[in-house]
Amino acid sequence: MKSKVTVLLLAAILAGACGGGKGSKPSGKVVNIYIWTNYLPQEVIDEFERRTGIHANVDTFDSNEAVLAKLQSGVAGYDVAVPSDYMLKILIPQGLVQSLDHGRLPHLKNLDPRFLNQKYDPGNGHSVPYLWGTTGIGYDQRKVQPSVDSWAAVFDPRHAGRILMLDDQREVFGAALRLMGRSINERDPAILRQAAERLKKQKPLVRTYNSSDFANLLAAGDVDLSQGYNGELAEAVSHSSGRLTYVIPKEGGTLWIDNLAIPKGARNVDAAYAFLDFVMLPEIAAKIVNHVHYACANQAALPLIDAKIKADPAIYPSQEILNRCELIEDLGETTQLLDQLWTEVKAQ
Amino acid sequence: MKSGRGVRRLLAAHTVLVYLFLYAPIAILMVFSFNAARQTAFWQGFTFDWYRRLLNDGLLLRALRNSLEVAGITTAAAVLLGTPAALALARPAFRGKRMTQTLLYLPVIIPEVVLGAALVTFFGAVSLQLSLGTVVIAHVVFSVSYVALVVRARLAGLDPALEEAARDLGAGPFETFRRVTLPLALPGIVASALLVFTLSIDDYVITSFVAGVGATTLPLLIYSMLKVGVTPEVNAISTLLLAVTIVLIAAAHRLLQEKEGR
Amino acid sequence: MTRKTRRALPFLLPTWLALGLFFLVPLLLMLGISFAQRGIYGGLQPIQHLGNYLRSGAFLANYARSFDGIFLKIAWRSLWMAVATTGLCIVVSFPIAYYLALLAPRRWKGLLLGLVVIPFWTSFLIRTYAWMFILRTEGLLNLVLVGSGFLRHPVELLYTQTAVMIGLVYGELPFMILPLYASLEKLDRSLLEAGSDLGANTFQTFKRVTFPLTLPGLAAGIVLVFIPSLGQFVVSDLLGGARSMLFGNLIQNQFAVARNQPFGAALAFELTAAVLLLLLGYAALARRRGEDLL
Repeated sequence: MKSKVTVLLLAAILAGACGGGKGSKPSGKVVNIYIWTNYLPQEVIDEFERRTGIHANVDTFDSNEAVLAKLQSGVAGYDVAVPSDYMLKILIPQGLVQSLDHGRLPHLKNLDPRFLNQKYDPGNGHSVPYLWGTTGIGYDQRKVQPSVDSWAAVFDPRHAGRILMLDDQREVFGAALRLMGRSINERDPAILRQAAERLKKQKPLVRTYNSSDFANLLAAGDVDLSQGYNGELAEAVSHSSGRLTYVIPKEGGTLWIDNLAIPKGARNVDAAYAFLDFVMLPEIAAKIVNHVHYACANQAALPLIDAKIKADPAIYPSQEILNRCELIEDLGETTQLLDQLWTEVKAQ
Repeated sequence: MKSGRGVRRLLAAHTVLVYLFLYAPIAILMVFSFNAARQTAFWQGFTFDWYRRLLNDGLLLRALRNSLEVAGITTAAAVLLGTPAALALARPAFRGKRMTQTLLYLPVIIPEVVLGAALVTFFGAVSLQLSLGTVVIAHVVFSVSYVALVVRARLAGLDPALEEAARDLGAGPFETFRRVTLPLALPGIVASALLVFTLSIDDYVITSFVAGVGATTLPLLIYSMLKVGVTPEVNAISTLLLAVTIVLIAAAHRLLQEKEGR
Repeated sequence: MTRKTRRALPFLLPTWLALGLFFLVPLLLMLGISFAQRGIYGGLQPIQHLGNYLRSGAFLANYARSFDGIFLKIAWRSLWMAVATTGLCIVVSFPIAYYLALLAPRRWKGLLLGLVVIPFWTSFLIRTYAWMFILRTEGLLNLVLVGSGFLRHPVELLYTQTAVMIGLVYGELPFMILPLYASLEKLDRSLLEAGSDLGANTFQTFKRVTFPLTLPGLAAGIVLVFIPSLGQFVVSDLLGGARSMLFGNLIQNQFAVARNQPFGAALAFELTAAVLLLLLGYAALARRRGEDLL
């Protein structure tokens, strides 16, 4: 008798635990967001819900190819997605994102014209820029000497087992291609195969491929060199008392722009527009930047951004450094070859 | 038998080591969920902070609710589908019996990766939006088999004379079922329900393929937390889950023991 | 339809429908896709002329590709990892199963067995995470080893094959201990006594009496450990650092990132075929010995 009561009691407690709790939806209005990890602070999500009454479900990804896979399946159910530049170039012709009605985005005027009307989305017919940044190398200055100025550092056997590369085919191939003096947008199959060979030789030196946790791993001392995105690395650098630093190698780095888009078939289009417009408010954009340490494309937000962040050359690099960087572009038919070569490198 | 005693001690020592191996990582997780340090395993003071953060974490609570909902519905569906199947299979051979058995074995045998991939392909092909519902469907697919197989095993061990006796005494088929078969099968049904509930709550692989947005279950949330880095919050969730599981098992064990004692 | 079958129908129909629609159909669909080709960015390439496509053998392209050196390497790596895991599990499990079944004091048996089962009921993810926590550079193991002065530099175990192996063995251990225990428990103790009465020492008794009688339990344990190890990808993803790709990772990768569903489907079926063959072998073996399957 006693044990039966125990079981019933436990069941009742569990039922109660899920009935109450902060998870209940308020008005039934919902927006489903698919965004990069570490890219949207919880306080901004909360603020959005407070102001609009719309509940935000946020799922994260750490590679553009994952976005493509989800949107291609047609059944993922996202209302907002945040692909990078070259991925938009792929999504738009496949009809996987909707065209945007600028009339419904009054705060679009806050954005810096330098980031608008890019080649991958002329006239911003399908997207608005969100955050931008660079990809370079973060490293521990005490352990890696002399100071790093070339991608050769992440191919250097002296650092065997202490290197981290992003789990991203375009970025990893980019490192190899730049070291070979080529562009990250190289299409020649022969050159790509050579790059793949280099990467296969590099693999034993790489401790792990990781696009979400690279800054923590560098900060914790699990690796000495990490290919990575400037924002998270800059944050780790600023907390490291001078031990870590971020650099864009002389052969060049990647400049990337991440954009907000509404997938085709989104069910909560009104909520999606509300969200897109919300993050273009100056105080919201500034809050995001201050939190995630990536630069935004929002001019009106500039005065509200932390002075330390604006002064950080890793986050707001000089024009000279930006000139060394290139945007990733879609490879068209060569994409298939690259997908294949990447599988081969990872399969090694 | 002198060699026997030495061997005996060696085996006992080995057993202790294995238990240590099994439980040390779990114990370590629990202990360090109270560690104030964020990044390292270096002890920096005792704190309930991580638990406090968990209880205020809306995302986590929602994931927990999703997992419980899915597990609950899955268990109910699996029992409702699997028990009749087990009853039919407990009967002597009929045409199609072997085929049914094979069909029931397959979801258990086929690797989870394959099942997950097949289901997401199917849902895409019929344009069924990924959601909590698709997760339930996927879970029911592998759960029905467990229920059917466990209950059938239980029924196989029963004395057929009991049912015959009931019928001889004039009970109709439904009454026989209700008053003889079902009570006897109940421990098997309960055991399989518990098994299926646990499997559903813990499932990561299949769920990762078929979960839609807003359908994040606890394992999916934990996995994404693990990917972003080792944090004490994960230790805290782990401890809570472990504690709940152990309590549930102990309670279920007591309950079943009582039933057997009758 | 015989009368018996007709009577069983209402009991079986719901299950048949559920599994038929949500299990058989998806598998058949995936089989069909395994014969197709991927489009430029993913999805499927439309087939221009079905007759030619079939006649030219192009429909086997994915299967042919799966025998490329690099994928055979992954298959081989997954195979030996599953074998190694199973072997380690057997070595670790046999002594404890033997002790629990034959040597442990009777009143402790239930509790001891329960203690083996409890980890099985707890989340696999969490138990894998425990090893991440212990093995990382700033994790507990290194803290103890370096802090105590035993080592000068931290040992880097996380993101290695060793870590994956530890994680796999840790996860699968209960599945080997339990069947072995069940088999040993059923052992007729009088047989062991007979052995020693005839003059055999402990080791000889084990080799010629105990071990042969536990083969069914051993076989069951091997099946329960080896097959999941073949197809797993969570442990190698979390503990292996996305470096050592196993077959399960490869399949998941094709669906999630590489967007080559046809190739992924072909790989999935090859894995399934391997598993089914192994099980058929096990079933045949069991039938020959007159044992029941489960």
